[in-house]
Amino acid sequence: MKLKQNSKAASVSFKNVTKIYGKDVIAVDDVSLSIEAGTLVTLLGPSGCGKTTTLRMIAGLEMCSSGTVEIGDVDVTTLPATDRDVSMVFQSYALFPHMSVLENVSYGLKFSGFKKNEISERAIAGLELVGLSEYGARLPSELSGGQQQRVAVARALVLEPQVLLFDEPLSNLDAKLRRQVREEIREIQQNLGLTVVYVTHDQEEALAVSDRIIVMKNAVIAQDGTPRDLYDAPANRFVADFIGEANILPCEIAAIKAEIAKVKIGDYSLNLPSRGLDKGSALLAVRPNRVIIGKSKPNKNLPGKIIRLTYVGNHLEFTIATEFENLFATSSDVNSEFKVGDDVAITFADKGPVLLES
Amino acid sequence: MNTFGKITLGFALALSATSASVSIASAAKLTLYCSAQEDWCQLMARGFEEASGIKVNLTRKSSGETFAQIKAEEANPKGDVWWGGTGDPHLQAAEEGLSEPYVSPMRAKLNGWAVSQAKSADDKTIGIYSGALGYGYNADLLNAAGLPVPACWKDLLKPEYKGHVQMANPNSSGTAYTTLATIVQLFGEDEGFEFMKKLHVNINQYTKSGSAPIKAAGRGENTIGIVFMHDAVKQAVSGFPIKVVAPCEGTGYEIGSMSLIKGGRNPESAKKFYDWALSADVQSRSLEVKAFQVMSNMNAKSSPSAPDLSTIKLIDYDFKKYGSSAERKRLLKKWDDEVSVLPQ
Amino acid sequence: MKTENKAFAHSTLLLWLIVGWAGFCLVPWYGIEDGFFGFEWLSDGYPFDPDYAPALFLILQGKKIWLASVVPFMILPVIALFRIKSDPVFGKVLVVCGALGFGILLGQGFIIGLKGWQFGWLEQLFGPLGDRQFGMGYGALFMASAFLFIFTQGIAARGAVNGDVFVVSSIGFVVTIVAIFVFFPIISMLLSAFIGEDKAYSISVFIDKITDNRLWSLSCITGGQKCGAAWNSFALAVLVGITTTVLGLAFALVVTRTGFRYKKLLRAMSVLPIITPPFVIGLAIILLFGLSGSFTVFFSDLFGFQPTRWVYGLPGILIAQILAFTPIAFLVMIGVVEGVSPSMEEASQTLRANKWETFVNVSLPLMRPGIANAFLLGFIESMADFGNPLVLGGNFDVLSTEIFYAIVGAQYDQARAASIALVLLFFTLAAFYAQRFWLGKKSYTTMTGKGDSGVYSQLPSRVSKPVFLIVAAWTAFTLLIYAMIFYGSFVELWGVNNTLTFKHYITAFSARIGEHGIHWTGSAWDSFWTTLKIAGISAPLTAAVGLVTAYLLTRQNFAGKNAFEFGTMLSFAIPGTVIGVSYILAFNVPPLELTGTGIILVISFVFRNMPVGVRAGIASMTQLDKSLDESSLTLGANSWQTFINVILPLLKPAILAALVYSFVRAMTAISAVIFLVSAEYNMATSYIIGRVENNDYGLAIAYSTSLIAVMLTVVALMQLIVGKTKIGRRSGQSGAKP
Repeated sequence: MKLKQNSKAASVSFKNVTKIYGKDVIAVDDVSLSIEAGTLVTLLGPSGCGKTTTLRMIAGLEMCSSGTVEIGDVDVTTLPATDRDVSMVFQSYALFPHMSVLENVSYGLKFSGFKKNEISERAIAGLELVGLSEYGARLPSELSGGQQQRVAVARALVLEPQVLLFDEPLSNLDAKLRRQVREEIREIQQNLGLTVVYVTHDQEEALAVSDRIIVMKNAVIAQDGTPRDLYDAPANRFVADFIGEANILPCEIAAIKAEIAKVKIGDYSLNLPSRGLDKGSALLAVRPNRVIIGKSKPNKNLPGKIIRLTYVGNHLEFTIATEFENLFATSSDVNSEFKVGDDVAITFADKGPVLLES
Repeated sequence: MNTFGKITLGFALALSATSASVSIASAAKLTLYCSAQEDWCQLMARGFEEASGIKVNLTRKSSGETFAQIKAEEANPKGDVWWGGTGDPHLQAAEEGLSEPYVSPMRAKLNGWAVSQAKSADDKTIGIYSGALGYGYNADLLNAAGLPVPACWKDLLKPEYKGHVQMANPNSSGTAYTTLATIVQLFGEDEGFEFMKKLHVNINQYTKSGSAPIKAAGRGENTIGIVFMHDAVKQAVSGFPIKVVAPCEGTGYEIGSMSLIKGGRNPESAKKFYDWALSADVQSRSLEVKAFQVMSNMNAKSSPSAPDLSTIKLIDYDFKKYGSSAERKRLLKKWDDEVSVLPQ
Repeated sequence: MKTENKAFAHSTLLLWLIVGWAGFCLVPWYGIEDGFFGFEWLSDGYPFDPDYAPALFLILQGKKIWLASVVPFMILPVIALFRIKSDPVFGKVLVVCGALGFGILLGQGFIIGLKGWQFGWLEQLFGPLGDRQFGMGYGALFMASAFLFIFTQGIAARGAVNGDVFVVSSIGFVVTIVAIFVFFPIISMLLSAFIGEDKAYSISVFIDKITDNRLWSLSCITGGQKCGAAWNSFALAVLVGITTTVLGLAFALVVTRTGFRYKKLLRAMSVLPIITPPFVIGLAIILLFGLSGSFTVFFSDLFGFQPTRWVYGLPGILIAQILAFTPIAFLVMIGVVEGVSPSMEEASQTLRANKWETFVNVSLPLMRPGIANAFLLGFIESMADFGNPLVLGGNFDVLSTEIFYAIVGAQYDQARAASIALVLLFFTLAAFYAQRFWLGKKSYTTMTGKGDSGVYSQLPSRVSKPVFLIVAAWTAFTLLIYAMIFYGSFVELWGVNNTLTFKHYITAFSARIGEHGIHWTGSAWDSFWTTLKIAGISAPLTAAVGLVTAYLLTRQNFAGKNAFEFGTMLSFAIPGTVIGVSYILAFNVPPLELTGTGIILVISFVFRNMPVGVRAGIASMTQLDKSLDESSLTLGANSWQTFINVILPLLKPAILAALVYSFVRAMTAISAVIFLVSAEYNMATSYIIGRVENNDYGLAIAYSTSLIAVMLTVVALMQLIVGKTKIGRRSGQSGAKP
């Protein structure tokens, strides 16, 4: 048998959920969010931001201190993990070391009221899905890291849960494998129409797999949107800096006309969407690839000096000293003639730089 | 499947494995409270089971504890017979109406001291064995140290025995209390305490248990031990170089007794046991467990090495007075205050 | 599949309701005289005979009407059966009924006892009762369990511990049994220390007993007679603690940091004293160093002095205890000494400290927790030790023997026993806290989990030479003692008649084939089978209770966890003699009448050895990544299934450790046992003490030697049965790999 399109995929919603550990450690602070059925949503943020706690509250491994959690419009706030139709793939895989691969994959099915022959059929189908049907009899310890990872995924998948959770599933894999496995996960999710909540601290991974990304910081949601939204229109300095890299420069909004702001950085000025900001001081976020390095010219630009230049194969990385801050820039022109010590004139691409509240 | 009950069930099942053997229901049974040494109690219980087919439930506790238990169960007695243990608590039980009068057909075959014990308690108890106080010495050690052979209580006060005599602490041992009471009755209270003070100088250790001094002597760890003579005989018979002394001035004794518990649930079985326990054959079996007391049945066999009570000068031990708790306390306190604090 | 879970909650409730009602209507309410497992009552007047009647029949006959007071709390929960789990009424009803039912059930047991009202003021209030009751039996047990688990289900339904019925019930269960079998006896003992001869409570009685000169006299220092037992015990325990710690450290150093070749022998030898029954060492010492001991005689002949009784008293006890407890210190120290990371020492040496300076400034301070633990163990073991002072004490009184004689001697003074037991308890708890205080909050962890490629540095010679000497002397001495023991079991009468013989083994263990199969005619068989049975039953129970407790402590968070942990570890700090006395005081009278049964022995072993099971369990469970249980939970297994399917199979080493330890302890323990044995349930150790008292040394030693052999066999068997879980490299478990 084959695993079919999952008709059970359900939405998840948090309403004013707070989690407090002990007396005063606030891990999640009054968070509300909703995740549509059949989508892959990533919780992204630095360590300690509350993303894993949020995930574990969906799983039922932690109970929220206040607020409500719903899965598929059913209030599950007080239900323990066992009683929720959710499965989870762990960072450490958490394969049971004393059971064979097949036993691991069958484990959840045993407690789900399936008949014996159905259990093994489903387990084998699950292993097939992740391309490990040959390995059923082995112990987890006899598999490579990537294979163990896929067993963990199969084990969670075969239960056809309402929601599938991933807790930093790729962090123990090397870079190449990581890309491969994440593509597989995305493919399976889309083929089966699963609701997936995915936790990671790797922004590149998040951008690559998500339908939507929820960025968390200090126990609250910093921004919630599609990967493109987040990258191109970060809501604040934190998101701008965390998703991809960004140079954050202080600037002055000199005037606003029809939602277009005239922005000044020292002598250099440019026009950008105002994003609801008023006149006065603000911040400007510029992605490194949106920094244009030119030969020194006296007119509208930001003068600077190259203080470090690194060749990293497919592009060059520059560190440029300016009167405000050191700028970080990349250039795909690996044959550029610039060298350390050159005075340069910096301009920003028309699209890309974003104004932020200071 | 999911029941937590499994754990508790498992616990209970495991516990149920403790059951030694599920007892098979049989009509006749007997609950025996025994205050003698363990192996003797076992011998009596198993022996009676074999002889009568009556199942015996045996509880062994010291005579003091057994008395306390019978008193506690007064309103709903659980025991039937109380066999063994020194006579004082048996007499006390008779006095408090905890035991039943019974005149056994075996009584004619008993020694006089056993019958007089019964008569003094309105037939509510009876003597089953008797043992006289005395002392024993390790002949090898005595020779090696070149000491004279003692024969009387007063010999023990000689300075050359310093560090060679052991007795139990009267606070913890009934034997030692009997010693104290005997000395007081023998020499009078004042002279008796003088005796204890002088003896104290020669004592190397006051043991906790009554028979420990002679056991130490048997092992060669002590020279002279003041104990009941049958305990000393036991050591001698076991092969240790122990000689038993019946002190020349005369000595005290105990009467091990047996009582029927009033209101017991199996009075018929109890009487059967009572008669059986007084028979010569049964009493002769005491030798099997090395109990060298003099048995109350005149025809009971006794070991040739057992002390012959008829040749020993026995004092007229006042069980009533010296068994009373007031007198016991007074003497013990006096001993504590005047004797035990002296330097050795 | 998930909808079944609601039904499940109710099926558990239904089960316990049925159990509760069965307890009330079907089985005898009171304890049965023939013992817990005698089933004679079925054919003997049941269900109308008041001795065997279920509570319902008693009430219908107009007897023990007060038992009816629990009925409402068994009826009300039926309402809950028709409510869903998340309905607040469900939880509320169960909590209230469970708590009140349990409370009233216990309360009536304590209020109405053997002689009617247990409290004078009740008698004054209501007049004499005219009725009484005995110890609780099946009925009460069933019903109490039912109330307890109804209560925990209520609590769980109200959301405690994530609403997990298994976890809440386990906590409830462990808390209840610890309360009943650890706290209740200790409190009973505390109370009984206040009871005077007139059976009334009085402070002055307590003050009299606890300040008794026989306990606290210091006259041995001021030149008088002898010191009080409390000071004697304390001084002895400190000496033993220090000596065994030093010896244990020396052993551990020899094994890890020298080129010593016979490390395995040393490790094997260290196990010997642990599986040696009590008294045996004491006996061997008397036979060697007593007034007529082989050594004493030999040297007194050689040098022509008069033999003395020097060994009786402090010297003898000290030697015996050091022999017995050094291996324990060694086992503690070896773990710590191996735990000190060699890279710390290497770092110190590269910082220009020489070997000696490194040892003193780095290695030793890092071993501090081990030193503290070893000392504490030595101290407590010495305080609680009972066999050696009994044999070797002479006039040197110690607390443990004083307690024993207060109970069994002619004094029969339970209040005195209880107050001495309190003094003993005070000393051990004080040592416990002193140790914690000394260790403070410094970190002694040197294991980082990263590969440590260093090599242990060798000891500086100024340490290694004395250490070698000590170890060699101790080893030779121990070997000599055990050789003597072995030899002693084969001679006719040691010291008197040295003819070789099998007589003692035959007396103890003879058997003949008769018409009804094998007749176990040897005198030791009874106690031997009892001991095997009791040890065999209590070992798995100890392991089970210990591991469940460890699981709760490591894997679950709940209010009062610290107090819970303290409660489960308390019995470790309580000497066996104290446990024995407190069990007698608590379980000799209704409502919990257990003395004289095998159950009380099993229970005393379970709770005395439980802390070891808990520790072993915690140690291995903290090495199991928590994500293993969590993944099992998210895969739909509940906590119970997770515990059984995932945790237990991975805990086999801890299970084995707990099993072996509790089995061996149950076989060799004496201090608590001596108070709890009965004619029917006699244990090997108390049989041996009886033989020792009768001067049957040969038999005692032959029996002990056989026990040692049996224990070695059983331990090997357990290893086979428990087996090893095949888990390969365990990479799934340790997870993160760099």
